[in-house]
Order: sequence, then structure tokens, then C-alpha cells
Amino acid sequence: MSAIGELRKISTDKKTKAEKKADRRDNKAAYLFLAPWFLGLSLITVGPMLVSLYLSFTKYNLLQAPKFTGLENFTRMLGDERLHNALGVTFVYVFVSVPLQLAAALALAVLLDRGLRGLAFYRSVFYLPSLLGSSVAIAVLWKQVFGSEGLVNVFLGFFGVEGQSWIANPSTALSTLITLNVWTFGAPMVIFLAGLRQIPTMYYEAAEVDGATKWQRFLRITLPLLTPIIFFNLVLQIIHAFQSFTQAFIISGGTGGPADSTLFYTLYLYNRGFANFDMGYASALAWVLLLIIGAFTAINFWASKYWVFYDD
Amino acid sequence: MRGKTRARSVAAVIATGMATALVLSGCSAGGGGDEAPELSDKPVTLRFTWWGNDARTAASEEVIAAFEKEYPNITIEPQFTDWAGYWDKLATETAANDAPDIIQMDEKYIATYGDRGALLDIKSLGDAVDTSDFPETALATGTLDDALYGIPVGLTSYSIMANPTLLEKAGIEVPDDKTWTWDDLAEIGAQVSAAGGGAEWGVAPWGFEDGGLNNWARQHGDALYTDGEVTIKPETVSSWYQQLLDMVDDGTTPPASNIIEKQSGGLAESFTATNTAAFGPWWNSQLTALSDASGSPLQSLRVPTTDGEADGSAYYKPSMYWSISSRSEHPAEAAAFVNFLANTEEAADILLTERGVPANEKIRAYIEPKLSETDKEVVAFLDGLSEDVGDAPAVTPPGGSAIEALLKQYTEQVLFKQLTPDQAAEGFIKDLKDAIANA
Repeated sequence: MSAIGELRKISTDKKTKAEKKADRRDNKAAYLFLAPWFLGLSLITVGPMLVSLYLSFTKYNLLQAPKFTGLENFTRMLGDERLHNALGVTFVYVFVSVPLQLAAALALAVLLDRGLRGLAFYRSVFYLPSLLGSSVAIAVLWKQVFGSEGLVNVFLGFFGVEGQSWIANPSTALSTLITLNVWTFGAPMVIFLAGLRQIPTMYYEAAEVDGATKWQRFLRITLPLLTPIIFFNLVLQIIHAFQSFTQAFIISGGTGGPADSTLFYTLYLYNRGFANFDMGYASALAWVLLLIIGAFTAINFWASKYWVFYDD
Repeated sequence: MRGKTRARSVAAVIATGMATALVLSGCSAGGGGDEAPELSDKPVTLRFTWWGNDARTAASEEVIAAFEKEYPNITIEPQFTDWAGYWDKLATETAANDAPDIIQMDEKYIATYGDRGALLDIKSLGDAVDTSDFPETALATGTLDDALYGIPVGLTSYSIMANPTLLEKAGIEVPDDKTWTWDDLAEIGAQVSAAGGGAEWGVAPWGFEDGGLNNWARQHGDALYTDGEVTIKPETVSSWYQQLLDMVDDGTTPPASNIIEKQSGGLAESFTATNTAAFGPWWNSQLTALSDASGSPLQSLRVPTTDGEADGSAYYKPSMYWSISSRSEHPAEAAAFVNFLANTEEAADILLTERGVPANEKIRAYIEPKLSETDKEVVAFLDGLSEDVGDAPAVTPPGGSAIEALLKQYTEQVLFKQLTPDQAAEGFIKDLKDAIANA
């Protein structure tokens, strides 16, 4: 207490009036520049979030005032079989597509990191799907590619394999969405590339002198030193995958079909809110999703203690 | 933004107050009916929203222009989307107290909106909208608890769309639809499939739309809804699914993954529109669009029955309604526009049968000579049914709009054999009840 008081005295003693005035002016400018962001955050994000928190305890059909129902929405979830199915679909999607996507991103990053001629070009080409991946246009294209007369079946036709519609079949529909997500490996790849550049070349030189093979160098040097980047990408992509919506919405025509096989959590939430006018329940679902993502992120951070290596 | 909303709701309260006052004064005068509110002579802007294709948009804009010419102080702002996006948008706009003044409404949603106070009782505006040329049965489908929430626009009836060219190819004559049965449909369909060699099929599937289920229920002495409750029996839904499944299993109807793929492509990619099925269940007013898309002459047939005799299961369904938002600041002007759409020959000249065969009988008679051959067939089919139609089924209760998505989900599970017809019937009824209870 007294120490802080002393410090404060020193700091105030040290500043002249003119300096203090300048400080205040600086602060004002800072707040002014922050204002648009702050307004956006409070009006467009925090405000609606708080409203949705309130709505999650109500029955609200969009047209009439919400009615408070306590925890009813949350208890309803326990018996909601479609929700349980949606959770299953989402978990499969997240836990299959994210590792595959990161593996592809890492493999490509390592390949591209060899000082290839025209690196910038390749990097852009591989990054492109990430920019397009969650767009409506790509989802429409995907629908064509995996349709019964799509590119995939034309390709399989060369080998005499008679394909089916991959999108219209409940046992393969989710796989096409996973493939789409894996295909958008560009964003994590660019981050991996940046990470690879951070690894000092002297480690590799030393290893080479000691006679380490390429594979050993990757396993013993690249991978451990890259773990913070892998961790970063993992956290980010898991959150991203949990929130996937557009692809499933477009490819299944908004319903999560066929037979609910692509019914992502977010898609179910959307349908509850806007197709069934069940906005209270949809709000509750949104908050549960937030908790699920929060829990997985927390687990990730906890587990990171055991495998992420910080070189400092 | 907030100020605007408040101003709007104040205006809504005043408007409601005025409407109530008018109703009361109408009552106290003891005369027949309420008086129409007076039109403002100041500039008024209204918003008018609809779903539909390009042809509908062009016709709607033409109608707006004709109306604005007659009422120079009223401006109508058009707003349109496709069917799927339409309801999401309308729901959010209504929730934000910013619904369009004039709304193209569907049977599945009218109670959902009307029951919750989002639509204006058109009768409260007196005779601002003339309903005298509409049959009572049609008006009844837009009425809920004595309030008229929508003026029926066009009528349509469930039918089987037949492709005579495909039938001829298989050496079969178009069956007599006054005596045919479901067994006949399956039998002829199987022959077409056999002749089609995997490229053409007999019967396009059902199970993705409530019209077919409604019809099936009526044929089996059952009803989808009674007094706002789901009353259809599980065995009715189950037998409907079983009939479909049998036809898929013996190849009369295309395999499951074909069905799903076509299903997502809308009308233009359907089996009927691509000339790949000889019979398909459709609303008869879709004949025009399907004939255009397929390029071959199609023919509406009556839905088959169990014993080959008309059983009163056929009914006229309003293809859509004109509704007015209860929060409209200008109900009188909105009513004037609805009246123009529903009752004037100028509007009828432009709209013809694009939104269904006019429910307004005077207008229907007026446009008949102007129709194309196909459109005339649409009208003739409805007229031909007039002896055999029963009462329209109960209006879909609030929350029942979920039925379309539920049917699709369960039909797919039946087709891919994830559920038996019995299980699907149980699940479907449970979920539909749940959607209505939680609406």
C-alpha cells in the first residue's frame, strides 16, 4: 500500500503539468480511436449476447414477448434426440477433419519451406481454398463435384467404378463435408510456414553433421520446435470447426440431410430458431455450444503442458 | 434506430386504436359490417413482400405500377426472395417490429403469424377489401377464431402429374383417373420402369410435402389436424410410407440416393420436369411450370383412391394469401392494395394464374378466355373436381410449419432403411406434436 503510494508520488512528481496534459490528450485520442471498435463490440456482440443469455431462460417465438421458463430449455435438451444426433455429427466432423487438415497443412508447409522457386505463387495457390472454403459458391461447387454426375464419379468411371451420389447418401455425406474442411488447409499452412522460418538453421546444420536423416531431423527438431504453432492451430481450428455452418447449410439445402447425417449443431440451432420459431431454445443451444467450445479449449490448454515445448 | 422503432410501435397502437374505434362505431350503428377507414391523401409508402420466381417478380412489379397509377400518393416498395429464405427473413423482420405492410402468406404459416397477433384481421377494416366474390369455403381457410387473416389468392388441388409421352413409349394408355386405384398406379408404374431400363421410372416419390399426407389421411378417414391438434394416426403415416417403400423396393420409384439428389434441385430438376418419371405427385397449379420445364405435354390426373371411387378426399387448397401486418402504419392503404390485387380486372389481366387459379370466382370467369391452353387445363381440372371435393382440411396450427422439414427428415430415414415405416410414423407424429406444443 505504502509502496504503491510512494511509487505513485514519484510518478506524479516526475511529470510536469504540461506532460500530464499531453497524457490526457493522448488518452483522449486513444479512446476516440477505440470508440468505433468499442461501440461495435458492445452493440453488435456483447448486447445481443446478453439478450440471448436472457432468452435462453425463456420461451420466445419471435412474434410475442418472451415468457420466462427457468431452466426448462436446458432440461429439454436432455431428451432431445435430434440434438444428441447433431452433437454426434459435429464431434465426428471436428475430430476427424481437424487432425487431417492440420496434417495436410504441416506436410505442405514442410514441402514449401525448401526454398522452392516460385514459393509465393504456390503459397497463394494453396491458401486460396481457405479464403473460399466457407463461401456459398464453394459449397455449391462441392455439391456438383460429389453429385452422381459430378467430377468424382467421372474420375472413378475411368477405373470402371460406378459411383453414386456422395452427397445424397447418408453414409457418405458427412465425409464430403470433412473433405471440404481438410481442403481448406491454407490458413494453418501459412502459419506453419511462418513457424518453420523461426527455427534456427544451426540446429539442422548440427544434426546434419551428426548424420541425422531427413526424417530424424523432422521428428527431433522440426516437430518439437513447432509444437507451439501446432497448438495454436489446433485450438483455432477446433473452435472454427465447431462453428461450421455454411457448408452444411448449402449442401444439405438447409436441413442437415440426408436423414440428418450432416446436421451440424449450428444448423440445428438455426433451424430451431428460425424455422420452428423456438428462439428461446435456440438461444439456450447457443450458450451450450459456447460452453462446449470453452471446455474443449480449456482441455487443450491443460493438455498443452504435456506436449507443447517452448524454446526460451 | 431505437427512436424509429418506438415511433413505429406508437403508430401501431394508434392504428389499432383507430381500428378498434371503427369496429365499435360500426357495431353501434347497428348496420351490417364495419366501415372502411378513409384513405390518406398524403404520400404513403408501403412494403409488399412475396416469394417466387422471376416470372412472378415481373408480374408483381407490373401490378404495382398499375396500382400506383391509380393511387398516385401511394408508393409500393417490392421485396422478394425464394421460398426457403422468405420465412427466415419474415420471422426476423416481424420480431424486429419491421414487418412489410402487405405479406404473401402461406397456409402452413398463417396461423403461426395470425395467432400471435402479427396479422391484421381484415374484417376489422370493414369492406375495404371486398370478399363477396370469394367462396365461403376458401375464406374459411384464412379465418382463425373469426378473424380473417388472409385473402386466398389462388386455389389448387393435389394431383398426379402424368407424362403421356413416357407412357406411350412403354405402350400404355393414360389411365382413367376417375376410377383408378393406388394398385393401378403401382402396376402401371412398374411397367414403365421395366420398359425404362433404369433411365426412366414409373412413379416419382412422395414424402417431402404435407399435401400428399393430407390427401392420404383423408382417404383413410383420418385428418392431419383437428381443432389445432395433431390427430393423424400412426398407422396412417406408416401405410403412406409403406406404399412408397414398396415402390422403391420393386423399382417402380427410383432408388433412394437418386431421390435425395433430385429433391434438392427444386422443381426444375425433379423427375417430372426432367421427363424421367411417368407419374409424380404435384399441386395441379404447378402444371404450367412443369410443362415449361419438361418441354413435353403433361396432364394432371386425379389422385388414385383405394377402391376406385371418388371419396371426397380431394380438396381445394389456397395456394397463398394476401395478409396485412398488424403493425402496418397504413392499414387503409394496405387494404386498398390488397383489394386491388384480389378484386380488380386490371390486376387479373397481369397476374392471370401465375399464383394459382383465382379464388375470386368473378375474376376467374373474367380471365378464362385470356388463358393459354395449359392454363385452361389447370382451371378445367379444378372445375372438374367441384362435384367431388370435400371440405378443406383444418388450417395448420401455429408451429405446424415445421412439418416440411420433419417429413423430409423421416422420409429420408425410411428410404435409407434407417427406420421402419412404423418407427418413422411414431417419430414424425411425436416431433410434429412437439413443434406445435413448443411453438
